[in-house]
Amino acid sequence: MERKYTILAVLLIVLALGLVVLQKKKELKETDPKSLLMAIAEKSRFLSADQVTHRIIENDPTLMLIDLRPTDQFKKFTLPGSINIQPDSLLSKGTLELLNQPGKDKVLYGNSDLTAEKAWVLGTRLSISRLYILKGGLNEWYNTIIKPGDVSATASSADLDLVSFRNAARQFFTGAGKTSDATDDSKSYEKVNVLRKAPAAKSGGGC
Amino acid sequence: MIGPIISSGLVSHAWDNIFAVFIGMGFGFALESSGFSSSRKIIGTFFGYDFVVVKVFFTAAIVASMGLLYLSYLGLVDFSQLYIQPTFLTSAIVGGIIMGIGFSMGGFCPGTSLCAAAVGRLDGLVFFGGMFLGVFLFSESFPIFENMYYSGSQGAKMINSAFGISPELFTFFLVLAAVGMFFGAAWVQKKVKKVEY
Repeated sequence: MERKYTILAVLLIVLALGLVVLQKKKELKETDPKSLLMAIAEKSRFLSADQVTHRIIENDPTLMLIDLRPTDQFKKFTLPGSINIQPDSLLSKGTLELLNQPGKDKVLYGNSDLTAEKAWVLGTRLSISRLYILKGGLNEWYNTIIKPGDVSATASSADLDLVSFRNAARQFFTGAGKTSDATDDSKSYEKVNVLRKAPAAKSGGGC
Repeated sequence: MIGPIISSGLVSHAWDNIFAVFIGMGFGFALESSGFSSSRKIIGTFFGYDFVVVKVFFTAAIVASMGLLYLSYLGLVDFSQLYIQPTFLTSAIVGGIIMGIGFSMGGFCPGTSLCAAAVGRLDGLVFFGGMFLGVFLFSESFPIFENMYYSGSQGAKMINSAFGISPELFTFFLVLAAVGMFFGAAWVQKKVKKVEY
């Protein structure tokens, strides 16, 4: 073994030992009240139903959906890939380890904003980063994606794009092109009277 | 690309492919200049006449882990911004076995086969073609393997947390193992008959 490799090996060990000596205690810090107040006033903690849907469809690996509803409701329906966490177990060791996963955007949701807002404040106080709320909860997500409203005749092209995205998303989640309450059978079509054009008079010759 | 620069919003996602091209070029250059386009050199690890593969990958692992930990200590890298690939234990074990067999039989791993193909080596081109065939067959028969593919999900598991030690202490042991391997490999290489290639 050459001398230079021995020196490099010693240098590596010293550097690695330095890490052990310098290691800092990574305690979960608590956010100070002023920063918490600023974070509460900031609306960027909300993700819209469209934003979340887009990331679900794209299979975004950084997205972590956290369903805060009761287990029986979670079993009946939930957003794909969601984890069910009960609000009372939010401070348990396992949940905190899950929420402290690096590189993940944790999106909290319940049926509405209420439970998610409480959980968000609690999580933010515990300095959990990249914590978001699904705006309006699952109810708004359902009304936006699965049961969207009518499009106005004067809708802009951006609105029409959004509607076509929602239609595609609805097909993605339900496998259906139309909402369940919009049945074709209920519609009655007016009979169209076809007015046939009278045959043209035969020409008397010429070209 | 998922890294602290892009995920923190400093650089737009539109730069992903540009970064990928330059990182790929750098990686390919490093592989070729280390002699990784030669399957005989790579296969030397299994026969004991050339340990360059193990040395290069161990060096990469310890430099990256020590670098990240020092940058984190200095406050230059936020660990929470790093993306950790989730662990799927069953598919990792099965994939590892298949990869190991392919590696020892073909003398290339996917990256080095591309490197060899790029410099015009026929064995590299054949390996590269076989790899694509394998990818195609796997994709087409994915529903058969789907359950196994997703089984043993462990989330973003870190090896140090599995051992219950800090990342710094784990890196220290990794460095000790790497240094031990460097000296051990040199000793074995002296004992084994040299192969010209």
